[in-house]
Amino acid sequence: MNGFEATVAKLCNTSVRDYINPYSYLEWPETIDVEQWYTSPELISLYGTPLYDSLSLAEQKRLSFYEAINFFSLNIHGEKSLIEGLAQRLYRKGNDTISPYIHHFLDEENKHMTYFGGFCMRYAGKVYSDRKMVFPREYAPGEEEVLFFAKVLVFEEIVDVYNKRMAKDERLVPIARQINFLHHRDESRHLAFGRLHLKNLFAKYAPTWPAETRDGVSEYLKNYIATTWKEYYNPAAYKDAGLNNPFDIQEEFFRSDVAKAHRKQISTACIRFLTETGILGEVPQV
Amino acid sequence: MKTETEVRQSLRDWIVKTNGKIRAEDLADDTPIIDRRIISSLQLMDLILMLERLSGNPIDAEMLRPGAFSDINAIYRNFFDTAYAQAN
Repeated sequence: MNGFEATVAKLCNTSVRDYINPYSYLEWPETIDVEQWYTSPELISLYGTPLYDSLSLAEQKRLSFYEAINFFSLNIHGEKSLIEGLAQRLYRKGNDTISPYIHHFLDEENKHMTYFGGFCMRYAGKVYSDRKMVFPREYAPGEEEVLFFAKVLVFEEIVDVYNKRMAKDERLVPIARQINFLHHRDESRHLAFGRLHLKNLFAKYAPTWPAETRDGVSEYLKNYIATTWKEYYNPAAYKDAGLNNPFDIQEEFFRSDVAKAHRKQISTACIRFLTETGILGEVPQV
Repeated sequence: MKTETEVRQSLRDWIVKTNGKIRAEDLADDTPIIDRRIISSLQLMDLILMLERLSGNPIDAEMLRPGAFSDINAIYRNFFDTAYAQAN
């Protein structure tokens, strides 16, 4: 058994050991007060801006509720694409080593969606729409595989920073804290798997690619990171929180220095991994 | 509320600005912006945000028909032409 196989086996064992029933594990309050903290204030997309400072405490808390709905919604959309891609790879030729773990991955991602969807539908009556689309195109050998796992990694690494912080934040309403905790608990395994698998895939395929494919992968991921971040600034959430001119807010604050500094700080580990492995040709602006 | 001409002009301006290479005079209302890679899939999120702002309606990318963004004519029909949207 090589190192990667041993890691996959270990991750499978931990998934079996930590298996939970998502329908009985969480105790959902019948109703909630939206003027409590559901997102850590420092992680609210407008935190540190004059607009945020001008809001009353109740308005800030209300915004934190809709930011949680947005965070959970973007998790649902990300995990739907992930499940689709993972299911296609289950038992595909050459995937014998990873298929046992893909079963756990699929199971755990489905559970996460029941937490996120359960919260959004119970307390907001909706999930915010997905604005991402992918067009079919031709790929070099292994390019689609590398891009799939690289996109998964970007999405999960950023989300996990939020989960880790909010799982420990006692200001948050317990149900919000618990969902973040449960997600982080499984994601830490997914991230360990994702990093190893992506590194192996890139080492296998990248040497066979012409320079333009390598540059294309790097450029695509750079833009994907920016697009992923853009989802954290949702005009629909600002509107629901009662803010005026939600589209202007989205445009203005996404470009603000305070938002850039926040994104840079949260993305550091993910970008370091992608640049150190050579998947990203340079450190992108986020 | 913008007129049809204003909406089409806003779309044209956005595409030219976002692409950065295509000249306004080379972009007609039936120029295939996706097939010719004038707009990438990752730039679509910005286009959707702009369309939501212009139309005042939220857009769910999952519910869109293929080709909804193929050119300016298709975008106008799908997101601003009420009669077309109701018939389809």
